[in-house]
Amino acid sequence: MACLERASPALKEVLLKLHRAEIPREIDHHIYEFGSVKYHIQASASDPYHVYLSVSTPLLSQGTVAVDSLPHSTLETVKRFYSDIVEVIEPQRGGYQLTLRLNFDKLPHGKECIKVISNISSVQALILSSQLKEMLWNLGSQEISQGTYKPIKLVYHPREPFFVIRLPQKITAVFPMRFRDSTDVIIATAFFQELMDAGCSEACAKAPPCTWSPIPPPELRGEPFEDLSTNGGFVSFDIFSQHVEGTKLDKTVWSLLNFSAYVKYHVKCTRGFIQRRMRKRLENLSEVLQISRTGENELNTEVQGYRCMRKLIGLSKPKNFRRKCGTFTKKFKRIHSPIKIHGFDRFRQRWLKIPKCHSFRRNKLD
Amino acid sequence: MANTLRPYLTCIRNTLEAALCLQNFPCQEVERHNKPEVELKTSPELLLNPVLICRNEAERCLIETSINSLRISIKVKQADELENILTKKFLRFLSMRAEAFQVLRRKPVQGYDISFLITNYHCEDMQKNKLIDFIVQFMEDIDKEISELKLSVNTRGRLVATEFLKQFI
Repeated sequence: MACLERASPALKEVLLKLHRAEIPREIDHHIYEFGSVKYHIQASASDPYHVYLSVSTPLLSQGTVAVDSLPHSTLETVKRFYSDIVEVIEPQRGGYQLTLRLNFDKLPHGKECIKVISNISSVQALILSSQLKEMLWNLGSQEISQGTYKPIKLVYHPREPFFVIRLPQKITAVFPMRFRDSTDVIIATAFFQELMDAGCSEACAKAPPCTWSPIPPPELRGEPFEDLSTNGGFVSFDIFSQHVEGTKLDKTVWSLLNFSAYVKYHVKCTRGFIQRRMRKRLENLSEVLQISRTGENELNTEVQGYRCMRKLIGLSKPKNFRRKCGTFTKKFKRIHSPIKIHGFDRFRQRWLKIPKCHSFRRNKLD
Repeated sequence: MANTLRPYLTCIRNTLEAALCLQNFPCQEVERHNKPEVELKTSPELLLNPVLICRNEAERCLIETSINSLRISIKVKQADELENILTKKFLRFLSMRAEAFQVLRRKPVQGYDISFLITNYHCEDMQKNKLIDFIVQFMEDIDKEISELKLSVNTRGRLVATEFLKQFI
């Protein structure tokens, strides 16, 4: 699953730490993200200006077979994007699809430095975007043979494939949506309906038209059954030429790649929102019942006046009397003789004892 | 308040006022035991006729009375799937925290969404009219809360959808 942010936060933090370190440090760090993205950062104290970053990520493929190495065009895009600060090392290190050498001595100072490191941290997003961009371009340049428009299955995550279909005027991206829980399905369905409505509004008139249907769209006819069995239906986006013009292409590609993650994040947040709201409501409802307790109102009525008087009024008469006696007894007990006399304690207990208030009760014999 | 809701709630209030005249009554089967007869139903002479109040097919309320206890079961309206899931989630959430409401039953009666059990001890501990107010307000609040939750979920969805589509522009 892709991250909603382009830059990997963990990678960014490690690189920033390395850059800010005053003393050169030896580092051999592995970072795993979303279970399938792997980073390896290596730096040596003897060569403080060069840091090696290797990346392994599941690549977009047009089938179930995973691709092991990056296509040449993607490598070219990476080289072009990072220019002089980053060098692509070929061949890459074992187990990784890309190895980069970061020249820290060429990094600018101040805020620019953070920007550059953020760009380096978004290397995985760059790889994916460039792959999808290339596929979209290829689709555009291909000749349509015999008037048939065959959908291309793009597998980024094994459980979340999506389809791209090239039609004469547009490119359609179809997302089969699958969820674990029935609650998730209902929240997501409500979201898809809102997505369709929002697409029709004036504010989003220029956005690609979006449709949701519980059954597969006719364009996917003939695809394997396991790809078409979903519990959340199918969301389709119609991408026209105006959505891929110039800088918009990058945004469109990133939004399409992140669509599944975006929906799942929304579902998760909505569940949290419902839970928070229910907890708040529980408090309000239980308060209503507390009021119904007998005599609750009488106890809660606040007595007006000075604080010391309020204290006295708040207590009943026997309580007041017992309280006063208690204070006196405590004071008396505090008087201790500095000289210990044998048997004095017993004498004090017997003769100097103050009777307790509740000893005034009558016995049965009386 | 909707026009049909007022007579429905008034009817429930009046029925509860009539039914909530509970008294202490020891169990006739087991010595030194005191059990809610409406739950056990061991002696038919201690039970009154149950009253079913319906607002419509989807919304109803069952009031079962006995000499020492009363059970009120409520079925909340669920117009669509989202309301259904919200109602289920909310009422399950409340049932799991039944200790916060002394009169709430942990498991609802079959065919209903939530049940309350009021015994003579509750009537001694709480004011009768306030207890009825609580039940009626609870019913009102549940309806309102479900509607508000549905609205909030849809509004959130709309905002998130608009933000997503704006990325393309």
